[in-house]
Amino acid sequence: MIKVIKPGLQTTVQDQGRIGLYEIGMPPSGAMDKFSYTVGNLLVGNQRNAAALEITYLGPVLQFGRKLRISITGGNIPPKINGQPVAMWETLEVQEGDTLSFDFVQSGARTYLAVEGGIDVPVVMNSRSTYTLIGIGGFQGRALAEGDELAVGDMHEKKVPVGTRIDPSLIPVFQKTHEIRVVVGLCSYRLTEESKAVFLESEWTVTPEANRIGYRHKGERLKFVERQQPFGAGSNPSNVTDLGYPIGSIQVPDGVEPIVLLHDAVTGGGYATIATVISADLNRMAQIKTNEKVKFVSVTLEEAIGARRNLRDQLMKIADAI
Amino acid sequence: MGVKKPMNQLQTRYEYGGDEFVFVQLSEEMSLEANFKGMAITRELKQRELPGIVDICPANASYMVRVDPDVLHPEELIKELKDIEQKMADLDHITIASRLVDVPVLFEDPWTHEAVMRFRDRHQDPESTDLEYSARVNGYDSKEAFIEAITSAPFLVSMIGFVPGLPWCFQMVAREKQIEVPKYVRPRTFTPERTFGFGGAFAVIYPVQGAGGYQMYGIAPAPIYQKEQTLPDFRDSMVFPQQGDIFRYRSITREEYDQIRSEVENGTFVYRKKDFSFTPQEVLEDPDAFSEMVLRRLYHD
Amino acid sequence: MSDKKAILSPLPGVFYRKPSPELPDYAKEGDVIKAGEVVGLIEVMKNFYEIKAEEDVLIEQFVVENETIVDAGQELVLVKSQAS
Repeated sequence: MIKVIKPGLQTTVQDQGRIGLYEIGMPPSGAMDKFSYTVGNLLVGNQRNAAALEITYLGPVLQFGRKLRISITGGNIPPKINGQPVAMWETLEVQEGDTLSFDFVQSGARTYLAVEGGIDVPVVMNSRSTYTLIGIGGFQGRALAEGDELAVGDMHEKKVPVGTRIDPSLIPVFQKTHEIRVVVGLCSYRLTEESKAVFLESEWTVTPEANRIGYRHKGERLKFVERQQPFGAGSNPSNVTDLGYPIGSIQVPDGVEPIVLLHDAVTGGGYATIATVISADLNRMAQIKTNEKVKFVSVTLEEAIGARRNLRDQLMKIADAI
Repeated sequence: MGVKKPMNQLQTRYEYGGDEFVFVQLSEEMSLEANFKGMAITRELKQRELPGIVDICPANASYMVRVDPDVLHPEELIKELKDIEQKMADLDHITIASRLVDVPVLFEDPWTHEAVMRFRDRHQDPESTDLEYSARVNGYDSKEAFIEAITSAPFLVSMIGFVPGLPWCFQMVAREKQIEVPKYVRPRTFTPERTFGFGGAFAVIYPVQGAGGYQMYGIAPAPIYQKEQTLPDFRDSMVFPQQGDIFRYRSITREEYDQIRSEVENGTFVYRKKDFSFTPQEVLEDPDAFSEMVLRRLYHD
Repeated sequence: MSDKKAILSPLPGVFYRKPSPELPDYAKEGDVIKAGEVVGLIEVMKNFYEIKAEEDVLIEQFVVENETIVDAGQELVLVKSQAS
């Protein structure tokens, strides 16, 4: 049992996500930085889909009801056990009554707490992930609150020795400026050539609204190709006949402030999508903070698939070493 | 001189959505034909059960497929989709399994009216209600005539999404009779749960309370999304609508509204509905006759 | 030994000195406020997080203006401890 003394800003239960339900308008939810989440589970010997806590910006204070192996991965929100700093990216052990707390965020935005066995909450449509918009999954469909008590599950498959670490060269480093790779496409035909270039050449600033639904970016205005709006599309030049939005897709309502849609996003709507963040960089997107800078870099489909393969190989290497 | 576009010549666009999605736009404009075509292709794709397909997401005049690119390369998927599209080109041999559903709506109800008044400053015409404004821009003499137009012909559920269970509904009438309304100038921060709204060429019901930009005309007494799954229609899924359903929005009195609300609260409410199959041809050739037949089937047969 | 301290922002976001635009500031320079009282808000991810004094303090200076974007760990208010 884990008791929530303070909840942090937004701490939610997440796993790999609720996949395959776009048809009913259900977004995937799930851990935003799957790389850190997966390493966290590996370090405590969990199955791949065990649920962990996703901590954003401000860490919670948690008290453990029994001896348990845990790991803390992802953005650097420095963890402390009973007030003493402890390492991230390492298999730790807590004792009954130990308290986990965190310092101010140093780098990155989201930290994962994996516990041996996983967080045990009811499975909703094949996933334990929290989707707060409609209040399903996770702990009572919401972010953690003071006084909540979390049960620990049995999704462990091996005992990992305390003190196990991963190769430091495989630990991601989170800066304050970010190059995020995208595949330009979808409805990019709607942007003028000049605006396509502006989109890729600008340095964008992440706004304070950035959350699990999406990241909004301030910068120059983009222009759409003038046309007679097709029937059903709506009157704004950024409107298209309502369509599906891939996770990671970028839209620019009214030409201002491009939005990258993330794991809790709406699944469809009437704005032209112009590019998609590649799957490997969604993890890095999750670690971008409000007010940091983003540059979108265009890559080919083959490069995107290559980056995805690299990431998978890295995770395999880490799994083998553990 | 205008050239009439032959039925099977929509402009299809195949695009990548990163490394995991393929996006296929069948047409830039909304039409029953584009929607039927997308439905036919995505239903066929589902039947082919290709390894590596993670999610099939049909939309209004487009669709999306999510893949595991390590199993199925997006380029290979596009080849497959083109093959399916070619086989479905004429829509001749396609039958759509569907349901006819009676969906009661209380127009000009007190709850959405309050929201309508609260957000007048975000509307193109602060002096009228959403219903009065929409009737006028569509050339109707009165809001009553406009409500009559909405309720006299059924709608095709052409897409589900935005949030779980929200049905985009496109009226099954000839193009010249299609209603089209703008969205709010600036989106509202509040829309009551079960609001019946209209935006672009689509009628919707908002499954949950939240932000929104569609014109608001009324409220449905019955849910289209129920997370507790206590009502019989929600036993298998939290979400009631399915793409391809045919909804008839029926104007009801406050008395009937209250009656249905109490049935919903007792857990006894069941939608009036009939299983039904149709061909796109039937609809496209004579929408009026189709609509009449559908209403007869739903209420009398 | 100094009793001068800074209240830091634990979060990145937008700093507000008042609960809403038409209401007065939570606190002004020269005010003495009690432990647990709010000195401002940080807005991030559409959440508002209250910044509170950890002990009884005299507010000497607001280092950042109302509606400024701040980083985690940034100084918001300089205060003087009132503990004796």
